[in-house]
Amino acid sequence: MKFDTIIIGGGLSGLVCGIRLVKAGRRCVIVSAGQSALHFSSGSFDLLNALPDGSPVECPLEALGQLALQAPEHPYVKLGVERMKALLAEVPAFFAGAGVAVEGQGVRNHYRMTPLGAWHPTWLTLKDFFCCGSPEGKLPWRKAAIFNIAGFLDFYAEFIAGDLKKRGVECSVHLFNMDALEHLRKNPSEMRSANIARVFEKQENLERLGEILRDEAGDAEVVLLPAVFGLERADALACLRRVANRKVMLLPTLPPSVPGIRTQLQLKKYFQDCGGVYMLGDTVMKAEVEDGHVVRVYSYNHGNIPFVADDVVLATGSFFSQGLIAEPGRVYEPVFGLDVKYPEEREQWFDLNFFNRQAYQSFGVETDGGFRGMRGGKVLDNLYVAGAVLGGFNAVKEGCGGGVSILTALAVAQQIMDKRKIG
Amino acid sequence: MGQNEVNKDFDVIIIGGGATGAGTARDCAKRGLRVLLLERFDIATGATGRNHGLLHSGARYAVTDGESAEECIKENMILRRIASHCVEETDGLFLTLPEDDIQYQGKFVEACQRAGIRAEVIDPKEALRMEPSANPALIGAVRVPDGAVDPFRLTASNIMDAKSHGAEVLTYHEVVEVLRSGSQVTGVKVFDHKTKATKSYYADVVVNAGGIWGHRLAEMAGVRVNMLPSKGALLIFGHRVNRMVLNRCRKPADADILVPGDTICLIGTTSSKVPFEEVDDMLVTSKEVDLLLREGEKLAPSLAQTRILRAYAGVRPLVASDDDPSGRSVSRGIVVLDHAVRDGLEGFVTITGGKLMTYRLMAEWTTDLVCKKLGVNATCTTAIEPLPGSRENAEEVNKKIISLPLPQRQSSIARHGDLAERLSHNTPVENSLVCECEEVSVGEVKYALNELDVNNLVDLRRRTRVGMGTCQGELCACRAAGVMSREGKYCTRRAKEDLASFLNERWKGMRPIAWGDTLRESEYMSWVYESVCGLNMSQKQSE
Repeated sequence: MKFDTIIIGGGLSGLVCGIRLVKAGRRCVIVSAGQSALHFSSGSFDLLNALPDGSPVECPLEALGQLALQAPEHPYVKLGVERMKALLAEVPAFFAGAGVAVEGQGVRNHYRMTPLGAWHPTWLTLKDFFCCGSPEGKLPWRKAAIFNIAGFLDFYAEFIAGDLKKRGVECSVHLFNMDALEHLRKNPSEMRSANIARVFEKQENLERLGEILRDEAGDAEVVLLPAVFGLERADALACLRRVANRKVMLLPTLPPSVPGIRTQLQLKKYFQDCGGVYMLGDTVMKAEVEDGHVVRVYSYNHGNIPFVADDVVLATGSFFSQGLIAEPGRVYEPVFGLDVKYPEEREQWFDLNFFNRQAYQSFGVETDGGFRGMRGGKVLDNLYVAGAVLGGFNAVKEGCGGGVSILTALAVAQQIMDKRKIG
Repeated sequence: MGQNEVNKDFDVIIIGGGATGAGTARDCAKRGLRVLLLERFDIATGATGRNHGLLHSGARYAVTDGESAEECIKENMILRRIASHCVEETDGLFLTLPEDDIQYQGKFVEACQRAGIRAEVIDPKEALRMEPSANPALIGAVRVPDGAVDPFRLTASNIMDAKSHGAEVLTYHEVVEVLRSGSQVTGVKVFDHKTKATKSYYADVVVNAGGIWGHRLAEMAGVRVNMLPSKGALLIFGHRVNRMVLNRCRKPADADILVPGDTICLIGTTSSKVPFEEVDDMLVTSKEVDLLLREGEKLAPSLAQTRILRAYAGVRPLVASDDDPSGRSVSRGIVVLDHAVRDGLEGFVTITGGKLMTYRLMAEWTTDLVCKKLGVNATCTTAIEPLPGSRENAEEVNKKIISLPLPQRQSSIARHGDLAERLSHNTPVENSLVCECEEVSVGEVKYALNELDVNNLVDLRRRTRVGMGTCQGELCACRAAGVMSREGKYCTRRAKEDLASFLNERWKGMRPIAWGDTLRESEYMSWVYESVCGLNMSQKQSE
């Protein structure tokens, strides 16, 4: 199978890179094993919330100088300030073009509310989500009504109400039920976000809920709901607003993340609409490299029929997605065996406190300044690496997972286009 | 009983909420004594909750310690009757591997028979058919009546019965002083970890059932009990690879018992002396993990491909014989010390040594002594009367909760025995699952909150298995915290703190084995709780 570019990994990074390349006319295939980190997304993408030493960051671009001192291997440092600025400016239009509406920009972080009712700094937030410019001070409403589905345990109205009250918003918490949800109750493990979202794909069910909101929200100016809407339809909230006749906003739930799945589906659809090939449920097993050049890639489903391409992008994610594998004595990247830096002593991979910085979370593939993967210290000239499989950053502690995935994917795409003199 | 706690009088105060303390409280209460049980944390948090959960047949001790072996098999048979809902009758195999001496088998069988333990030599092929997970290289096998016992359930059930006979049970109450009047112990001063208040309680007899912490309690009373903390590390696997208990047929050594229990199995243990300063914070080292894996794979080779859920360690309270101050001669038998006879200190009794298997006998001997001191003449009935949960057979209980979904019915009967009946009034909303791995419903969580002295998520885990399954509390911990806060157990701030400590506690067990899928799970938990939920641990808490 011959393509211009093979992208290994169909999560956020792989899709962003793929979309950029197919739009520039490259023939791309994405080989995806299935779920990605988007499936438990918060509904926002973070850019940079803190430096490695723990000091909080409000304006990510201004912190890059410090970041370069504290984490010289950080992917942002490899990008450099100028490239970061240029890429950041592209992102909102990029997502809008792909049919994913977001709010926010890279100059200053805004705040999203977490499922536990805490405020967390972030970069981009999906449309319809409840977010604000500062974690303190007044909110634009006097009174809010939080609704949850009776028996849905992955949304914490009380936690959220607790925090809103602190900010001067009067809150009422309502549980609702509908006949259409009853079948989910028959098997108690069915009452989960993605299943509920399927019920609300139906117009009649949305309208029925809209009526419940209208009748029970009293004089609340805003209705807050768990994010279990719009799996495949973009107008779900608009419909609720129309029937309920007031402002309706979403708050994140525990995984699975309906907005994350929706984003994944939307990006995938857009990639395919632009002519990309998306192979779902396949795993790249191994590759053949000759003279520092990837020549063939083999997948599980296609056995000994190789994928051949000018360029290969590795966007397989971190441990969770099995882009990295840990064994008692070693950490490795399973497709190419790329260089990964880690301490030999297993006990140094971890901190005793779960909530402290964990060294293993910064492990990842080493690259040159152009995000090309290395093996035995030597660069592979047509293998590019993007997203969470990269080393040198801590997505949790620095709050930079979304940013690294999106920006390195765009940078890699740009590099391939520059090299091939296209776009 | 009076309203003013400070002056409340009891016949006997028992310190320690492990199996022994709980069993003693039950026995004393059943014999009509006014009982107070004090536990500094939750029930079963010491050695009771940190062992194999092996219902010993006694075979393991038959060759080296005939007396312990006899005690074991007697108590084994008693527990099958009185605690049927805590016991799984699996039987066990003692395997001889090519590296072991087959001559030992004869000696072993003979010693078992002497102790009254049914021991049947099985043809290796037949043994493999009975237990396909066993090492196919085995050259000999002996079948014995080993089984599995759930120490949490056993302790909780004893506590429940003690309470129903009038005992008062206070968890999170730590003894800070043993009160004396001359050569007579009169009571204890305790610190209440929940309210931060200090209170005094008085009784004619104080029983020290503190396990390894009994060493310090004895010091508080002004006497010395020479204990030797011995650390034992274990690994829990995420699947139940074996149906029967697997042992090595050789002199007892490290990591030679594999016990199945519920949905998992456990390999253990190591054995190493540790200083007293470390007994509150046992960490499992990479070396111990490697040893457990190496030896475990010899019993059941498939363990090499089985995911490890967590590692943990407990501390055995070994007691040095009184006539050997050097501490070299260690007894694993039951030690009841009447400090009046031994040290001239009236009103103070220490019960230690022994094992989980003999907790009831230890309780019986202790209660006999307490009764003698109090001049009470009452017979022990704990060997005859079943514990709450074991009074009705599973089929009868099943009929009573027939409206629950099938998997929930099965797992709640397994966990609570006949007490599962309390879930019969679950509403459809209460049937919602909090924990999918272990099939724990909202109704079961509520039952535990209201009737089983649950103060936090870790307590809840002990009673319901929330967070004990393959995901190790990935999402169920958060759901359970939500239910607890909704039920008014605590405010949202405390709920978040509790969630953070629960996750940190789980990490303690995952860290030593964090590779492969466990590391994937850990990374996911970090992302979900820290990034998505914004949960962190306050400075105060992490100290």
